[in-house]
Amino acid sequence: MKLRQVGAIAGIGVLVLAGCNQGGTSGGGSKGTVNIAIELPQQGSEKAASDPIINGIKLAVKDAGGVAGNYKIEIPNSVIYDDAKDGAHDPQTGAQNMSAIAANANVIAVIGPLNSSVAKVQIPISNEAGLLQCSPANTNEGLTKPEFGALDIRKANPNKINYVRVVTTDDNQGPAAAKYILEVLKKTKVYIIDDTETFGKGISDNFQKYLEANGGTVVARDGVPKTTTDYSAILTAAKAKGPEAIYFGGVTATGGARILKAAVAAGMADVPYIGPDGIYDGSGATKDSFLNLAGDDAKNAFATAAAVGDFPGRADFEAKFKAEYNTAPTGYSATGYACAQVVIDAIKRAGDAANMGELREKVRAAAVDPSINYTSVIGAFKFDANGDTSQKIISFYGYDATAKDWAFKSQLDFAK
Amino acid sequence: MTSVARSASPASAPSLIRRFRLIGFSLIGIAVYFLILRLMLGNTGTATQQVANALTLGAIYALVALGYTMVYGIIELINFAHGDVFMVGSFVALWTVTSDPWFQAIGLHQTGTVTALPLLALYLLVMFAVSMTVVGLLNVTIERLAYRPLRHAPRVAPLITAIGVSLILQNVIQIIVGTGDRPSPKIIPQDAFPFLGAEIRFVNVFIVVTALILMYILTLFVGRTRLGRAMRATAQDQQAAQLMGVDLNQTIAITFLIGGALAGAAGVFQSQYFGFVRFDLGFNAGLKAFTAAVLGGIGNLTGAVLGGFLIAFVEVFAAANGQQRWSQAIVFVVLITVLVFRPAGLLGQQIGERA
Repeated sequence: MKLRQVGAIAGIGVLVLAGCNQGGTSGGGSKGTVNIAIELPQQGSEKAASDPIINGIKLAVKDAGGVAGNYKIEIPNSVIYDDAKDGAHDPQTGAQNMSAIAANANVIAVIGPLNSSVAKVQIPISNEAGLLQCSPANTNEGLTKPEFGALDIRKANPNKINYVRVVTTDDNQGPAAAKYILEVLKKTKVYIIDDTETFGKGISDNFQKYLEANGGTVVARDGVPKTTTDYSAILTAAKAKGPEAIYFGGVTATGGARILKAAVAAGMADVPYIGPDGIYDGSGATKDSFLNLAGDDAKNAFATAAAVGDFPGRADFEAKFKAEYNTAPTGYSATGYACAQVVIDAIKRAGDAANMGELREKVRAAAVDPSINYTSVIGAFKFDANGDTSQKIISFYGYDATAKDWAFKSQLDFAK
Repeated sequence: MTSVARSASPASAPSLIRRFRLIGFSLIGIAVYFLILRLMLGNTGTATQQVANALTLGAIYALVALGYTMVYGIIELINFAHGDVFMVGSFVALWTVTSDPWFQAIGLHQTGTVTALPLLALYLLVMFAVSMTVVGLLNVTIERLAYRPLRHAPRVAPLITAIGVSLILQNVIQIIVGTGDRPSPKIIPQDAFPFLGAEIRFVNVFIVVTALILMYILTLFVGRTRLGRAMRATAQDQQAAQLMGVDLNQTIAITFLIGGALAGAAGVFQSQYFGFVRFDLGFNAGLKAFTAAVLGGIGNLTGAVLGGFLIAFVEVFAAANGQQRWSQAIVFVVLITVLVFRPAGLLGQQIGERA
């Protein structure tokens, strides 16, 4: 704990120093301009989740004075890609975007995507291109860990890690929700419903494993694709099994709010409804967010987030964000900021390069170096040999009916 | 109910007997379905609840399927835009009660449940009136602009046009409201009453009863009125009907008007029952309703209703047994099986290709 505080203070110090440095010298940006690409879904409910991340990234670049080492950094709209199609993330679109990003010589690194199913098809492309990719939100463990099949994803260069993330994985997020249900909500009989996607099914598997190993029981489990309209029949069937809590594995766009509404309609208004960060996507005032769609039905809703809910300097960050964009940040604004910090830091350490191809490789190698201690807005962390963060914190949020927003409850550190 | 493709005799004693037989068969069907569910689930309350779910879903499918089958019956066009017409209906129903500025201006703004019964009745009446009128007229407009100019073109031309219209409707709504779910206030109170061990919500009863009333009115219209007779005549033989003085354009327009109005009513159900609407709702609904129409025998009104309920029963049955992920596959297996043995659908009659 003490170490983290020291790290945080050091981190703020570094930021302040960096800011002064840019104010003092005019040498910044002498070697030319590079772009950081952003790849996030920006339609429907996922726009509600992505916009605060994009703002977080831009804020980080602005705080760095728009420079890193001898390079100027810009994020023009032409390198902000949208992987949504017809209102929800679409892996095929994500793959096309990644090909375009990899082919753009000005792009030094890419931040994104939001959804693990998109990352799964993007990493092979960015890995082959040797392009640094930092995700502020992906949590599926199969994206990085060899024991979950990650070597198939980074097949082109299995030993040259290019994909890193600043959030922890679903083998923590799933169990964290189970732990919360067992220990805080004190319920043992759980009904699980997932959206059959990479993220939703994966996190539900992790949830189930932990729950069953720790005295809970799964009364029933269903997998329902996102195109479903009518959930009444499955929730009627689920209600008959007498669950004390419902766990939803998925995101708002794949049915989070619809399932909650159907559960309430089926007579389970008082049964706590717990979801992963996929439903933690902004306040009730944000168009298309889970809370906006669910309305009053959300009174018993809880969400976990792989983002650190409570980090040193959180109040300052929130105030700064609010001053800049006039909206409150979400948990993933800070991780977007942290991803940008990783990229900027890597560019600084990479030094100069003869051409963009060489710079890309130098930045990648500098960023994923497991020996580097990052001091970021969300605290200090390192990347391991697979590109996963050493910070393994899951935050819990509950619905606050008066503010019509998620309220931070507590957080759990799996690294301890 | 009568058939559009094949004329039925005007309402007379045999038809009355047929109608009672139909009601009898339906009740027996529901009872058998309930018993099977009861046996498989081992819980009367849950089985009752699932039957209520299936009937409600079936009522919605059936109303949409009627629009498919009527249009097919009269001009032999598979109107792929019909699912999206239904989707527009659900948005019109939503806009009638939510905070949209236009409707706020006329004082209809509503964001929650309406408990006062007279007021609730008024709201529902307005919702149905607005949604059915707007969507009915929309359907007529689509026919006038997109299908009528192609009436004598090769069959594939209006088919492709229908797919085009479907995409246009989806995209227009997408531009207006965006791509996410739009929450719809459920103005019907969510109260339930105990029935056979289950808690049946009033909204379920309301949907099924209203749908049956609409279907009955449709039967009366097609079977007993001049325009209905003109529709049946046109379905049998356009040229002969025209020679007998039937105004072809008017008759076809009225068919589209009625089909659209039924889709509009189904749109109201969608917004009230599921509590959300979405721009791409029409695709799935259209697919289900089209399947229902084919299953029952396309062109046959009774068949469409039967098909709609059957598909809902199959889907709910799959979900009730924890096999929701297979529900689509099971629906189509049922469809294919039926078509193998009865290529014209359950109630369809084999009609030779027309000259």
